[in-house]
Amino acid sequence: MPTKWVLHWHPNPGSTVNSQILNEVSQCAEAINGVKDGRWKATLTLLKPNLRDQSQPGEYPRELLGISLPEQPNKYYFILRGPRIVTEADSSIQVIMEKLQSYKSRIALYFEGYQYQLGDFQLRVGKVVSSHSENLRGIVLEVEYLPISSMEKASQVLGEFVDIWQEAVLKRSLPGSFMHNEPNLSEYGLAVQYAYVMAQLFASQSTQAVRN
Amino acid sequence: MECVVQGIIETQLDVPVLRKVHAVPFVGPVASEVRLLCDLEHSEPTWTVKHIGGAMRGAGADQISVLVRSMIESKASKNVLRLFYGLGYKLENELLRVGFAFHFQRGAQITVTVSSINKMLKLHATDEAVPVTPGIQLVEVTAPATPENYSEVVAAVSSFCEYLAPLLHLSKPGISTGVVPTAAAAAASLMSDGGGTTL
Repeated sequence: MPTKWVLHWHPNPGSTVNSQILNEVSQCAEAINGVKDGRWKATLTLLKPNLRDQSQPGEYPRELLGISLPEQPNKYYFILRGPRIVTEADSSIQVIMEKLQSYKSRIALYFEGYQYQLGDFQLRVGKVVSSHSENLRGIVLEVEYLPISSMEKASQVLGEFVDIWQEAVLKRSLPGSFMHNEPNLSEYGLAVQYAYVMAQLFASQSTQAVRN
Repeated sequence: MECVVQGIIETQLDVPVLRKVHAVPFVGPVASEVRLLCDLEHSEPTWTVKHIGGAMRGAGADQISVLVRSMIESKASKNVLRLFYGLGYKLENELLRVGFAFHFQRGAQITVTVSSINKMLKLHATDEAVPVTPGIQLVEVTAPATPENYSEVVAAVSSFCEYLAPLLHLSKPGISTGVVPTAAAAAASLMSDGGGTTL
């Protein structure tokens, strides 16, 4: 799996994410000499147990995450957050799960946008939209240091790049900032980072709903 | 989708171990069954998730001697067993298959497996497995198919079964046909032919 950091946009209290911020972030990538070279898309699906007896939810996990990543078009990843299980399978596992009918998709998040090349770095700026609505739910940023495949070795370089990026974004005085979780060094760390971003998006939007 | 026939043979000689598959059908929260296969042949076991669906039905299906059913497979990482336990699936049974696999290209990509089926007296204890039917081995002939080409695959498998007729009876799974009484003689004849007779 590629060595990447995934950052997500964290709006300031009282503000929300919008397409203007997305445009500003994209312009930021170009302002630091990023060369746009294509589109990308990742999908995260939230599946829930399909229980015949709704009175027995305790036996089953509340949710199962399924993730498809552009780098691995023939693979699919399942995450159970409670027991911290990340399983890699062929993409045909999705058909198997549909046949089994034991877990059904409730909502999907689409991470999509443009990617930029900046020397030894690849940057992906993406909006987050859900299968239920066209509204913008978030903004993500993927940063990859191409020369090194070891996350441990690439971490320092990635950290320095992200510092430069954060300064560039700060200059635009946007109502928020990019945040990232300490990158997961496990074998399927990229899938885990997307799961974390999803959790943050849902958590922040629940907080926003309560405030409203 | 796949085409399948099965038969049985009586073991005459020790069968070298070439392949073991540790199959664990699971039953989940809604009645759904899935099989997890672990190939133990190599130093690093590899896992496959397999879903076998319903067989083709109707007058057309009854006419043919080969079972046509849906089948989907996916390779998975080694923690897939933990995943399915975590999803609430319950292990229904566990078997160890030990035997050979042969591959033929005869109008279709045909795989023949000759296996002894063994049950494990303790969970996952593959070293303590005992044969379910001592002295009897299961022969499975399978070939992948698509909705567009399954007729040709059925014909190829049927034709292949005819070649094997002197050695064993092959039929749809679930239909028992017994062993061929003259199988030993037929096998001896084949082997004494200097190996020149090929199927």
